[in-house]
Amino acid sequence: MKRELLAAAFLLGTLSITAAAEDAELKPFERGSWQQIVHSHAGRPTLVHFWGVTCGPCKVELPQLGQFMKDHPGIDVVTISADLVPNLPDATRSMLQKAGLSPAENWMFSDGFADRLRFEIDPAWQGDIPRTMLIARSGAVTTIEGSAEMPELDKWAQGQAATTGSRQ
Amino acid sequence: MRDVRPVLGAAAMAAVFALWHGGAFAQMNHQHASEAACEETVLRCASKVTPAFGPDGTLWLVWMAGGQISVASSKDDGKTFSVPVQVTRENLNLDWGPDARPKIAIDRKGRIALAFSIFRDKAFNGQVLTTQSNDGGKSFAPLRPITSNNESQRFAAIAFEPDGTVFAAWLDKRNRVPARQNGKPYDGAGLFFATSKDGGSTYSDAQLVADNTCECCRLGLALDGAGRPVIVFRNIFEGGVRDHAVVTFKDPALPGEVHRVSRDDWQIAACPHHGPSLSISPSGTYHVAWYTNGRARKGLFYARSTDGGKTFSNPLPIGEPNRSPSRPQVIAGPNGLMMVWKEFDGEKTEIKLMTSQDDGASWSTSRGIASTTDSSDHPLLVSDSRRVYLSWMTKADGYRFQPIEGEP
Repeated sequence: MKRELLAAAFLLGTLSITAAAEDAELKPFERGSWQQIVHSHAGRPTLVHFWGVTCGPCKVELPQLGQFMKDHPGIDVVTISADLVPNLPDATRSMLQKAGLSPAENWMFSDGFADRLRFEIDPAWQGDIPRTMLIARSGAVTTIEGSAEMPELDKWAQGQAATTGSRQ
Repeated sequence: MRDVRPVLGAAAMAAVFALWHGGAFAQMNHQHASEAACEETVLRCASKVTPAFGPDGTLWLVWMAGGQISVASSKDDGKTFSVPVQVTRENLNLDWGPDARPKIAIDRKGRIALAFSIFRDKAFNGQVLTTQSNDGGKSFAPLRPITSNNESQRFAAIAFEPDGTVFAAWLDKRNRVPARQNGKPYDGAGLFFATSKDGGSTYSDAQLVADNTCECCRLGLALDGAGRPVIVFRNIFEGGVRDHAVVTFKDPALPGEVHRVSRDDWQIAACPHHGPSLSISPSGTYHVAWYTNGRARKGLFYARSTDGGKTFSNPLPIGEPNRSPSRPQVIAGPNGLMMVWKEFDGEKTEIKLMTSQDDGASWSTSRGIASTTDSSDHPLLVSDSRRVYLSWMTKADGYRFQPIEGEP
């Protein structure tokens, strides 16, 4: 057991140097992870972004979301790398870091049975990325297929901020 | 080339996660995160398997496993296989995209042509590599790029024309370079083609069929009765609408007009990773099955064209909408049309089948013919002169090659 842990620690050390420097964590997204995310952000406006390292439009959108996170500190930002396996943790972290998304809550599909993971999130989703889910304070979900329009996201975020105001 | 191969990446990732989650993950199978059952190059460890029958009834498979491409054949309809021949010699970062797979074609003389793509850099730019065997699959020539151009290429499809010419089509991003130089945006990728007169050793210069097609979906390729290539592909129509289109070649070197298969109105700036399937029956009817999530319709659909792809029938919905139907494959076999697709109920993936005896005018009800409870490759259909077979790689149950019996 000790040897296994040492081996894992060695791998962690070699693979996540960047991550350590940025304090970024890449959580394994598995069965049940979706419910975990939904519960842990319940009552808070949350943007969940699905993307992947090989997805062209994602490369354009990711830095825009990094800026969105800076502009809207009141919105929880969650990213989920949903490329089919093998997902590449190094490439994933590197792209998140360059996009300014290291401080976000970052997950990566880590079950080879990606169909099942997607089904838990939305049975109608066939795996096209990018995809963004806006979860309002009320729990209402708006799904944006493909690249999101940033003004649209800003408007939603401002609307959520206004909701806070009315409740206070 | 990447320093971390996919399989190693998956294993390492699992180890890292095991550490993060401490004891809870210590028991986790390190292959849990992979779509393959194991890491060797054998068929059992494959993530993608593509079948084809040779003219003598021999079944040929090409597969991706352990980071390598291998080929084997079977003389008894998949019950036993020859010793595999490994086609790749070095560790390449094989294209593991959901719609990517190695392709194989066999001509009348038994010559074998292969094409597959790799990620050739850290930005995941693709490159299509080809090879061929002139000794009945005993050995394969060194790999050669299909084109000298270095812009990203993926999703090659190949077929032998009746005269032994290899026809190849693929998606290629070369035209984004001049567009960018002129300060213009370039969406998607170009649909390109080339031919080989020497069995797939060398290919002609790449020629454009259509610019701005969807860059992340496989192509549907078939030859019509006259041996002319027909390609169905996800196009990018005006306004970023990623609906399907078809092109019929006038001759092997001259693409015809591009026609629309259906108006699904799927406007999306994304990678659907979900390409179409095409088969042409002896009557000349085109049969197309595809996935869309458009404003006009959502799900899997089938349509046919009896006028060489100029117009198509109204799209017929396929499968149970609440079971996430996906990955349709249609084939015109010796006993009529057959179509398979995947359905998923949250735990189990099932392969559903429906058949048509009237060239696609009407279809049978659907029935399940196979299932698995872990990840699986797309269900593929292949036929010899007698019947149609399902070819399906599954992680939990291995490779399945089963004859499809007649009407349900």
